[in-house]
Amino acid sequence: MITSREKLTSYLILGPFALVLAFPFYWMLWTSFKTELDLYDINNVPFFFGHGSPTTKNYSFLFNETEYLTWVKNTAIVGVAVVAITLVLAVPAAYALARLSGRWGQSMGVGIFLTYLVPPTLLFLPLSYVISHFPVGGHAGLQDSLWSLVLVFPSFTVPFSTWLLMGFFKTIPRELEEAARVDGASRLRTLFQIVFPISLPGILTVIIFSFSLVVNDFVYALAFITTSDSKTISTGVFTELIRGDIFFWQALMAATLLPSIPLALLYNMFLDRFIAGFTGGAFR
Amino acid sequence: MATVAASGRTRRRRRNLLESRRFLATALIAPAVLFILVLVGGPLLLAMYLSLTDAVGGTLGGEWVGFDNFLNAWRDPNFRRALRNTLLFTIVSQAIVLLCAGLIAHALTRPIRGKWLLRFLIILPWAAPVPLSTIGWLWIYDSLFSVVNWVAKQLHLVDQFNPPQWLGDPTLALGAVISVHAWRIIPFAVVIFLAGLASIPSEVEDAAKVDGAVGLKKFWYVTLPLQLPIATVALLFGIVFTATDMTVVYILTQGGPFNSTQMLTSWAFFTGIRGGSLGEGAAVSLYLLPLLVVVAVLMLRFARKVEVT
Amino acid sequence: MADKERVDVSKLDELSRRDLIKRAGAGVILVYGGLGAHGVAYGAPKYRQKELAGTLRILQWSHFVPAYDKWFDNVYTKAWGRANDTEVIVDHINQADLPARVAAEAAAGRGHDMVATLAPLPQYEDRVINHKEIVQAVTRKRGKMKDVAYRSCYNPKTKKYFGFPDSYAPDPVNWRRDYWQEVGFGGGPTSWDVVKRAAPKLRENNRPIGIGMSNEIDSNMALMALMMCFGSFIQSRGHRVTLNTKKTVEVLKFARDLFRSGMSNEIFAWTAASNNQGFLAGRLSLALNAISIPRSAELSNRDLADKTMIAPIPKGPNGRLGLEHVMHTYMVWNFAENKRMAVKFLADLETKYVGAFENSKFYNFPAFPKSVPNIPVRLARDSNTPKGKYKVLGTISEKYTKNVGYPGFTNAAIGEIFDTYLIPQMFAEVAQGRRTPEEAARDYHARLGTIYAKWRRRGKI
Repeated sequence: MITSREKLTSYLILGPFALVLAFPFYWMLWTSFKTELDLYDINNVPFFFGHGSPTTKNYSFLFNETEYLTWVKNTAIVGVAVVAITLVLAVPAAYALARLSGRWGQSMGVGIFLTYLVPPTLLFLPLSYVISHFPVGGHAGLQDSLWSLVLVFPSFTVPFSTWLLMGFFKTIPRELEEAARVDGASRLRTLFQIVFPISLPGILTVIIFSFSLVVNDFVYALAFITTSDSKTISTGVFTELIRGDIFFWQALMAATLLPSIPLALLYNMFLDRFIAGFTGGAFR
Repeated sequence: MATVAASGRTRRRRRNLLESRRFLATALIAPAVLFILVLVGGPLLLAMYLSLTDAVGGTLGGEWVGFDNFLNAWRDPNFRRALRNTLLFTIVSQAIVLLCAGLIAHALTRPIRGKWLLRFLIILPWAAPVPLSTIGWLWIYDSLFSVVNWVAKQLHLVDQFNPPQWLGDPTLALGAVISVHAWRIIPFAVVIFLAGLASIPSEVEDAAKVDGAVGLKKFWYVTLPLQLPIATVALLFGIVFTATDMTVVYILTQGGPFNSTQMLTSWAFFTGIRGGSLGEGAAVSLYLLPLLVVVAVLMLRFARKVEVT
Repeated sequence: MADKERVDVSKLDELSRRDLIKRAGAGVILVYGGLGAHGVAYGAPKYRQKELAGTLRILQWSHFVPAYDKWFDNVYTKAWGRANDTEVIVDHINQADLPARVAAEAAAGRGHDMVATLAPLPQYEDRVINHKEIVQAVTRKRGKMKDVAYRSCYNPKTKKYFGFPDSYAPDPVNWRRDYWQEVGFGGGPTSWDVVKRAAPKLRENNRPIGIGMSNEIDSNMALMALMMCFGSFIQSRGHRVTLNTKKTVEVLKFARDLFRSGMSNEIFAWTAASNNQGFLAGRLSLALNAISIPRSAELSNRDLADKTMIAPIPKGPNGRLGLEHVMHTYMVWNFAENKRMAVKFLADLETKYVGAFENSKFYNFPAFPKSVPNIPVRLARDSNTPKGKYKVLGTISEKYTKNVGYPGFTNAAIGEIFDTYLIPQMFAEVAQGRRTPEEAARDYHARLGTIYAKWRRRGKI
């Protein structure tokens, strides 16, 4: 039973935290409706509107004068493709490391995880060489193509996902698989028909996590993509809404707000399954 | 894997092969390992090589200079400050994250009204792309239009003309960077903690109740120990996210004021990429790796050990 | 500022579109996306009969005057492309993020044919063509290149032009006439001494002086220029570090005192946009920046624009020595696929620079002064009030614009010092009282020395 005192404590803890954590978004929302004059008036109360605010012109600027929607679309495409590649590479590897290999499987799992620690600050230079000399693509390999990101991002999503899924597969009772094998199913068949379906929560975890890593990238997208119609949201917004020493603050805020809210809704919706996935994976 | 469903005469033989543990394991692991070797291993080796040369401005090679770059970097006070900051940012922000996320997750396990909304608000920072949300913070901490300062000024807490400069005073700026890191990682840690709490079997809860353990006592003796392994995981990721990130510092302060908030990653960028001393930049960024590897291995070991006991 | 801008831009659009359609009649099929959902036209003229001679790829900043980019991308390069059977593709990214991309292209040995940055990047000398050919071609038609441009793109040690600056931005001081009048200095910031005397009074009125000491480009420029006015130089004519001098101590003291008496802590937290915003907010009484301050005021706040004056950098004990604010330098990669057309493009662009000069609203001053005839007349013609306020830009560009690293050349060591913000760091540490001016001059002299030694070893200085 939960006492009302415990409930009150919960509110007292969650209320302030929710306020602080969400405040920047509230502030972005506010800012995104302001006119120039209103924004740059220090005497004006920032929590109220004036000088022609509120206005929707920052939003119409974003949608009509920039390729914002294309950037959002590109981010989604890259995210989905990277997630797919990550799954194709990480799921079998994780399963094999967890089940088919002995002690060295564990060590190798840790080894794979360690590659996740390499800071991307300078890696983008050698990688730039790799993508520009990629045998397919345009005049400079995959440079300025979304596919460059699709190729490179798994380099940090695969290590993480493999390690996570490894833990997850270990939690699946061996008996389940053995029973299937006794019935004459091959190893692969067992894998597809027994193991994967039970692992769905773990896979979901990997999907959400990989996607959020993709959205957060900055350096790679900055270095690899310059054509406006191939930019992802982080770099597109960044490179085109800051012009010289002028920041288009209101549009920048609108551009941040717009994708965050649906993503947060989506994450929140899947949170319970995500939790189930992580519980299975991370520490068993 | 798609080729698995191969048919024809070779099928039997293949099938036997696929039943071989060793072969199957190799076949399943190889693609991932190869991919990582090519895209992380190769470039990493190249970066190591560059750090031992006097490579400049985007030329992937140069004359061999041994450990000169590492020594040069070490002698530079800005480098040492960047090293210290990397540790400071990571440790302090993660301490905050653990504390806050622990509290939030605990409070979120109770069935309360409006939980969905609260959870949504708490998750928001995680959903926002980091480069963009950092721009949001840049505006919040702006030198002239900071909303924080506006409120503080209205309450007469600060000087009207010369309010605190969140990004202009070394101490405050360190705090600002830490706050953004903590802010963006708390939701992630909350989620992991929730997973940890969900995994505590209900029998344990019941037993604790019978023994009369409630409130803090229960937290300290029952929940916390059971949470340790998952806390380790959350911490490990938090550390990696903070220590290897360059975006926050790069956007928020550019390492300023007077290079007092540089991290190794950003300092490597400014010397190696912007300044053109590629070899030295590579050396700066490599200082971090051994440290992280040791921390990660220790923490992974610890997580496993705690599980066993 | 976006509001007003859009009106201008849409007009420009119509013009360019009409222009393009007219030409389309002449046997040219245009694939032109318009500025709708597809944004900047990425398509290029395709020719029916003739084979295209090739493609030319350019990467440069998103110009602070959006109309400039629209003109450059959709009008100028299209017309040039038609005349030269070349498809010209222009990509833009934010100036602060260009260096990462430039490094990536250099490392890959592939990318655009040429990239333009806001400061010369001597560290890429080995990865670019010798731009001498372009300089010579333009010199033949337009006479000599300005000294400030020459010293920004030529390496006397290796005898190579490592870039081609098409333009530079003069760096005036922006000041609020009304604020200065209020405190009895209606003449404005004519000398640093006047600034120092007016500062306490301005600050008393909550109208501080704004000279950045932060990790950003404007601070770098303003402080290096201030140093020169006091006779303190980073390097000598022969490229030796000359920081540890009495003059440096003097300028550090001056900046510290000016900060204490006339500024607020905000200058340590500045981004490149902060002095613009401080002006738009009506807070700052003085700032060193290119003309983006009055130009953005003209778009959003005319009243403010009328009160915002521009003037040459104040005079110091060593006279009036200012810096360029931006040295817009193109580099043609030595791995470019279309070097021939890149060279021709730059020579053509520079030879007839009127369009660029006008469309950038006088931001881009030609590196070859004769490429734009009658600059003073054009400046005087600007319709913004007070009438003729931009005339002074001509004087500034003629007399008070030096290169970064003056009296030496802009070299790789200067570049690294600039990009690691060592000069603002030195000033800020002194201003905040963390170091004495003497200590700072000594210490930073040594630090700069290490950087010079490094680049000298590599044979670049």
